[in-house]
Amino acid sequence: MSHQSPISNLQSPISRRAFLRLALLTGIAAGAGVIYKATEPVGFDRWFRWMVRGNLARWFAPNARVALAACPSYDADVLGALRAAWQSAAMPELRGARVVIKPNLVDFVDGVPCFTHPRVAQAMIQLARELGARAIVVAEGTTFRRDVQAVLDATGYTDLLARERIAFVDLNYDDLVEVPLRGGYTRLKTLFVAQTIRDADVLISLPKMKTHHWTQISVSIKNFFGIVPGIKYGWPKNTLHFQGIPAVLAELADSLQTRACAVVDGIVGLEGDGPLFGNAVSSGVIVAGSDLLAVDATSARLMGFEPAQIDYLDFAAWAGIGAIDARKIEIAGESLARFQRTYERPPHMG
Amino acid sequence: MPNATEFLLRAQNADGGWGYRVGGTSYVEPTAAVLLVLSDPNARARGRDFLLALQRADGGWGIAALDPESGWMTAWAIRALADFPETRDAVARGAQWLLAIEGQRVTDPDARRIIRELHKIDSARGGWPWQRGDASWVHPTALALCALVAAGAHDPSTPLHSAQDARVREGAQYLFDRACPDGGWNIGNPWMLDKKIPATIQDTAIALLALRAAQVTRGEARVAKAIEYLRDAVARAQTPAELAWGIWALREWGLEIGDSLARLNALQRADGSWDGNPFITAIAMASQK
Repeated sequence: MSHQSPISNLQSPISRRAFLRLALLTGIAAGAGVIYKATEPVGFDRWFRWMVRGNLARWFAPNARVALAACPSYDADVLGALRAAWQSAAMPELRGARVVIKPNLVDFVDGVPCFTHPRVAQAMIQLARELGARAIVVAEGTTFRRDVQAVLDATGYTDLLARERIAFVDLNYDDLVEVPLRGGYTRLKTLFVAQTIRDADVLISLPKMKTHHWTQISVSIKNFFGIVPGIKYGWPKNTLHFQGIPAVLAELADSLQTRACAVVDGIVGLEGDGPLFGNAVSSGVIVAGSDLLAVDATSARLMGFEPAQIDYLDFAAWAGIGAIDARKIEIAGESLARFQRTYERPPHMG
Repeated sequence: MPNATEFLLRAQNADGGWGYRVGGTSYVEPTAAVLLVLSDPNARARGRDFLLALQRADGGWGIAALDPESGWMTAWAIRALADFPETRDAVARGAQWLLAIEGQRVTDPDARRIIRELHKIDSARGGWPWQRGDASWVHPTALALCALVAAGAHDPSTPLHSAQDARVREGAQYLFDRACPDGGWNIGNPWMLDKKIPATIQDTAIALLALRAAQVTRGEARVAKAIEYLRDAVARAQTPAELAWGIWALREWGLEIGDSLARLNALQRADGSWDGNPFITAIAMASQK
């Protein structure tokens, strides 16, 4: 026999417990709906995959290691500094490897250190030889002009390549291969890249440490715009900018099937109106590492930027492509504080 | 240049095309450039057939057989095939594809104003992109003008002719808008904020070749300034590509080139090539005419 009156049943059609369950389920459904709507541009499944991978990386991935080595000028022992940085960082094995060295030769502007200094490229070539690389090439696909020879002449690379007897590959005109883009960060399903990059065992990004008016900084990942062929995507490879620069950079960092690492020319950096103009800053450092995001984040800190405030770093780290959190980056060699500067910010164009 | 001709004949791939290096993938651009300068009938027929085989169902050309979409090299293919009377239909279909393509125009007033502040350009002007969906740039626009003029000359009786004329005039206006303040052209950004971006020889040369084809005269101030820039730059140029493009454009405008041709020919390799590159060799040969 029930102790509840018919009136009380009318006033409380569901129990308190059932009501709470319903409220919880409604809350979850509403939350899922908001997430689904918010992630619609990229697709919920992709967003969920990136989010899970990012969290797994933040919680469980081992710390990245980035090495710093002092090198006060290009007349100093650049090879010695590079060797020290290389040995302190967890870099790829070069013995028997086909190595592609990719400097940043964006262009030549008289008196502006906007490109990787040839002394750093020379040291990298010499170190790769020391470490037993089977084949070494220097490769670049310039962004603003089709005739790379003029840039090689003006930047001192023609002399360097002749002196070191090293072949140069113009990545804008190489044979091409179509690489599937596994990240799904852009609308592109595939990307054409130079065969030379695809066939390499180790790709060494050898950028200049500098500011950039679109991305705030340009270091090892932005340097990979040069591996995208101009004959397919044009000059200045603007088709990729249309895909969203952070998304394209995440894809370049994530989808290349060649093992990559980075050595940054921070001996003299570029502040202000990069990537082509701006002013020289003597930072006196070489940065090395095989987690490109960690290298870029460390370079950002060396220039006085907070990595989480740089869109492409923030997005790529969230998606689990690498580490930018200082607690997840082990600095080897010299201390970060020794080389930290405050670079003049680039003019905002984004 | 018999030596250079022999190099180009040796460099032709089995599929009839040419690459940017001997033995490399055949691309539309170097194949078309070689066809402009090569007279050997057998090699020309094979090169022509390579281009015809690569024409896509939409009428355009990709960069090579592996490219799944039509793009800027369509202009090169049209320009080369326009010299073959038997390719009339292919040229007309290519021209139709080219006429249907234009770079993204920025029509939003705020966005247009911001771009004008950054680059001092009018982003509502229509030129040609490297590929569909891209903005307009100097190089593909100049190539498109050359192609459309050649296609029009190929068959001035077609209904396409008046549409071609209109786009050629519009393309010329686009080029004038993108001219560098100190003369000449670069990829298409004369300014970046308050910084002048310098011109390059190759972009200036291709733009001047296009404007010559479009029958613009030296009375146009930006043409006169570009010629001034190019003469000075070519006199100092060191690379085969810069010399070849620069000389070709200056000669097309009937201008003196000083010792530039001698400097270019001094860079020719023992195998008859410039830089071992069929494309640059073809441009160098074009500059000799």
